[in-house]
Amino acid sequence: MAQQFFYDEQIRRFLLQFTRIVSNFQIEYGREANSDQAALLRVPVRYGDASRNAQTIIQENSASSMPSTPLMTFYVSSLDYDRPRMQEPYFVSKVNVRQRTYDQDAETYETTQGNAFTIERLMPVPYKLGITLDIWTSNTNQKMQLLEQMLTLFNPSLEVQSTDNYIDWTSLSIVELDSVQWTSRTIPMGTENPIDIATLKFSLPIWISSPAKVKKLGVVERVIASMYDAQGDLQDAVTNNDLLLGTRVKVTPYNYKVVLIGNKLQCLQGPAIVDQPNSSLIAPDLVENSNLQWPAVVSVYGVLRPGISQIRLEQPDGTEVIGTIALDPNDERFMLFDVDPDTVPQNTLAAIDAVINPQTSAPQDGLDSAIEGQRYLLTEPTGNLDNQYNPTAWVGANGRPLVAEANDIIEYSDNYWHIVFNADTMPGGQYVTNITTGLQYYWTGEMWIKSYQGIYPGGEWSIVL
Amino acid sequence: MVNRYINTNTMPRLSLYRPNRTRDYQFLDRTISEMYTVGGLDLYIHKYMGPQTGGEDSALSGNADATQPVYETLSPLNIQDLLLLENRDRVYDPDVYVMRGVYNTQDVDFDLTQFGLFLNNDTLFITFHYNDMIDTFGRKLMSGDVIEVPNLKDYNPLNSSLPAALPKYYVIQDAAYASEGFSVTWLPHLWRVKATPLTDAQEYNSITNKPFVSEQIWDNGNYYPAGSIVNYGDTYYQAQINTPANIDINNTTYWQEYTPPTISDVQGTRDKDTEINDAILTQADVEVPLSGYDTTKFYIVPTLLDGQPALAEGASLTADQTTTVDGTQGGQSTSPRAEGYTLGYLTGSDEITPNGLPVTPGVAFPPNPVVGQYVLRLDYKPNRLFRYDGVRWVKIEDQVRTDLNNGPANKTLRSSFVNNTATVNTTDRGPIPSRQSLSELLKPRADNGG
Repeated sequence: MAQQFFYDEQIRRFLLQFTRIVSNFQIEYGREANSDQAALLRVPVRYGDASRNAQTIIQENSASSMPSTPLMTFYVSSLDYDRPRMQEPYFVSKVNVRQRTYDQDAETYETTQGNAFTIERLMPVPYKLGITLDIWTSNTNQKMQLLEQMLTLFNPSLEVQSTDNYIDWTSLSIVELDSVQWTSRTIPMGTENPIDIATLKFSLPIWISSPAKVKKLGVVERVIASMYDAQGDLQDAVTNNDLLLGTRVKVTPYNYKVVLIGNKLQCLQGPAIVDQPNSSLIAPDLVENSNLQWPAVVSVYGVLRPGISQIRLEQPDGTEVIGTIALDPNDERFMLFDVDPDTVPQNTLAAIDAVINPQTSAPQDGLDSAIEGQRYLLTEPTGNLDNQYNPTAWVGANGRPLVAEANDIIEYSDNYWHIVFNADTMPGGQYVTNITTGLQYYWTGEMWIKSYQGIYPGGEWSIVL
Repeated sequence: MVNRYINTNTMPRLSLYRPNRTRDYQFLDRTISEMYTVGGLDLYIHKYMGPQTGGEDSALSGNADATQPVYETLSPLNIQDLLLLENRDRVYDPDVYVMRGVYNTQDVDFDLTQFGLFLNNDTLFITFHYNDMIDTFGRKLMSGDVIEVPNLKDYNPLNSSLPAALPKYYVIQDAAYASEGFSVTWLPHLWRVKATPLTDAQEYNSITNKPFVSEQIWDNGNYYPAGSIVNYGDTYYQAQINTPANIDINNTTYWQEYTPPTISDVQGTRDKDTEINDAILTQADVEVPLSGYDTTKFYIVPTLLDGQPALAEGASLTADQTTTVDGTQGGQSTSPRAEGYTLGYLTGSDEITPNGLPVTPGVAFPPNPVVGQYVLRLDYKPNRLFRYDGVRWVKIEDQVRTDLNNGPANKTLRSSFVNNTATVNTTDRGPIPSRQSLSELLKPRADNGG
C-alpha cells in the first residue's frame, strides 16, 4: 500500500515568485520610431532548463528562428538540507481560526461567522534553495543597465513570499544575492564570439512542509489546571476521569453557567443569581435581568446548527444528559433544549401528581378530590400516631389517619392514603417525575433534588456544534 | 656549346608572380568571377552603414558624454561608444545587395542552451569574388554586415499560419582574403567571411523591425481576395472582404489599416518569451496578490472591554443599535475592536475592515459617529483604518500590503524611489522631476529635465 500522495508545489511557488522579483525590468533599445527618445524594451524572464521539445516549439522548429536578446533565464542550481536552521522536528503548532461565512453565489465573504477550525502544523524541514540567474545581453551597455536596476533590490537580500495564506508559516523567505559573475567570456575574446552572459547566484532559505491537519473547532474545552496527579503520574492523571472530576479545576471560558428550565436553556454570567437552587424541588424562574444572548456565546466557538448542535450537561455520576439545541425564535437568551430521552436517568418510581405541603393543602382543599392511584410527594410531615386528632383532610376510610414524614410519597388506594416511599428507609438513587411540572427528582438518600434540570456551573456543560 | 643555343639575354626569367594586376590577373579574375556566377548562389547582403546619427538618448537630452559622440552623418568609420567600444544602434542600408557566393554545406547540431536554439558548427565560411564584391557593394564585406541565405529559407515552420517563409540570416564576424582565392599570380581573387546565425538583438534592430510581410503594392485595377495585404506608401492595408477593382484604398468597408508583425515578432523569440514571462507573473500574482497575508477570510469575534464575546451576527452599524450583551455597551458589541488573532506581520492591511464590516473612506472623521463605526483615512500615508469607541477614534491598522510586481503599483520603499513620477515646482525652472539620479542631482538641464 503506497503512501497517500501529496504535492503542494512548494518549490515551484518559490520559483514563480523569484521570477516575479527579476521581471519587468527594461533596457534602452534604440529609439522610438520618429522620435529622439530612447525606446524601452522589457526583458523577459523564463526558466532556463527547458526541455528540447518545448524549446523547439518556442523556436518554431526552425533553424531560421532567431533567439532574442536580452533575455534572463534562471534555474535551480542546488537544494541542500539546511541543518543550522533545524528546529524541534516533532513540534506541532496549533492555530485556532474562524472563517467568515462564504456566499457561494456571490463568491464573497459575508460579515458573519462561518466554520471554525483548529489547524495543526508539523515542523517543516529547512532547505537552502540555490537559484542561478543568467542574463544574456548583446552588449555591455545593456548589461550595465540591467544590473544597475536589479542590484539595488538585494541589500543583501529581499523578502519573498510563496503564498499570502496567513496559516502557511513556510511562505516567507528571503532571496539573498550570493555572487555576481560579470561575464562568461574569457578576456581577450580570441577567435570565437560566444554570447555574453552575466550570472547572479542566489540562495533562498526555504521550508518544505508536510500537509497540515484541519480539525473542526466546536467543543467548549475544559482547561485542566493541574497536569499531574498526587503521585506525579502524568499518564494516569490524563486518562483517569475520576482525577479529572476530583483534583482538576474545570473552567468554561468566561465562567458562564447555564440553567435548564423545562425545555429551555439560559446562559448566564457567573454572578447571575437563579432564584431556585438545584436542591429546590421548584423550577427556577427565568433570570430576567440577564441579557446574555446565546449567539454571542456560540459565535466564540463556531456556528450553531439548529437541531444538530448539542449541549451536554454533566451529571454528578459522570454521565451526561445530551440534547440538541436550537435558538428560541422569540428570545435569543434561550436555547430550546430537545433532550435525548436515552440520556436522561430512568425513573425508578411511578410518577407523582404533584409536590405538596400536606400542612397547607389537602384533597378538596387546594388539591383535587382523592381518587384511586393519586400520588403526592410531601415536603412536610403530617399526622402522628400519638395524636388522637390527626388532620381530617388526610383521613381515609374507617377514620384511618395518614402519618407521613417529609420526603415521603403517598398514594391513595382502597379509600385511604398509603406511604409508598418511606424516606427514612429508602436508600439514594431513586428517580421520580412530577407530572405537574415535568421535573424529574432524584433521591439522594437524604433529600429530593432536581435530577438533571437546574443550574450547571462553568465546566459542567459543553457545546458540540 | 649549350650556351651557343640559349639566348640568355632575351629570354625572360620564368615567374608567374605579378606585382601588378596584369592581363593574367584579369584573365584569371574574369574566369573566377564566371565560375562564381555559374556555380555560386545569390546571397542577399544587408550593408552596415554605421551607428545611428544623433547619438543616444542621453546625448540628445543634453547629458553629453564625450565617450558617446553625436555623429552628424552615417559612416561605418564611426564608433558609437568609445568607452565600451560598441556599436549598439546600427543602421543598415535599406537596399539589399545581391552577390554570388560559395560556401560548404555542413551538418549542424542543435545546442539548446537555456537561451534557446543555437546551432553548433553553424558557422558559414562564405567566399565572394573580390572585385565583384567591390563593384556591387562598394566596399569589402566586414564584421557587422548581415547576409540572408536564400537557399536556407524555411518554408515549413511549426506555425503554419505564419504569412511567409522564414529567411535565414547570418552576421559576418570576420572577413579576410580566402587562402584558396590566390591565383598563380599570387594576387587574391576571393574574399572569405565567417558568418554566424543572427540573433534578434538591438544591434540588428534596423533589419529585424522591418515588416514581415510580402511586399505587394496596391493597384487600383486589381481584384483582392479577403485577407490580402497591400502597401500604399508606408501604410499597409488589409482587405476585409473580397475587393473588386476600382475600390479606393480609403474605403473602410473594404480596406482597413494593418500593422504587420515585424521580422523580430515572427522570427525572434521575444514575443514568446514575454508571453511565457507574463503567464508566470499572472500565476505569481494569483498566489500572492499583495505582500503580507490575506486575513479577510477570517472572522474575528467582537469582544467587550472585559474580553467577553459581544454580539455581532446580524448586527448592523446603525445609530439606534441597541443589541448588546447586557444592554449597556451601545454599539460596542457590533464590530471587533482590533484585528484579534489575525494581527501579525503584514496582516490585515488591505483596507478591509475586520469581518468585512462597512467602512467610511474619507479625508476627515465623520460627524456624529456611532460606536463601532470604521473610517478609512485616505489622507494618511499609508492609509489608516480607525474605529470609534464612543470617545475617540482608535487606530486599527495601516495599509501596508502592496503589489509585488516591479512597477508603479508596487508601494515598497524602494519602489517609491524608482517609480516616482512626481514633480517639484521651482521658481526659476518650472516643475522639475522629483526622481533624479544622484550624479545629476539638481543640475540645470537645457530642457528642464531635472
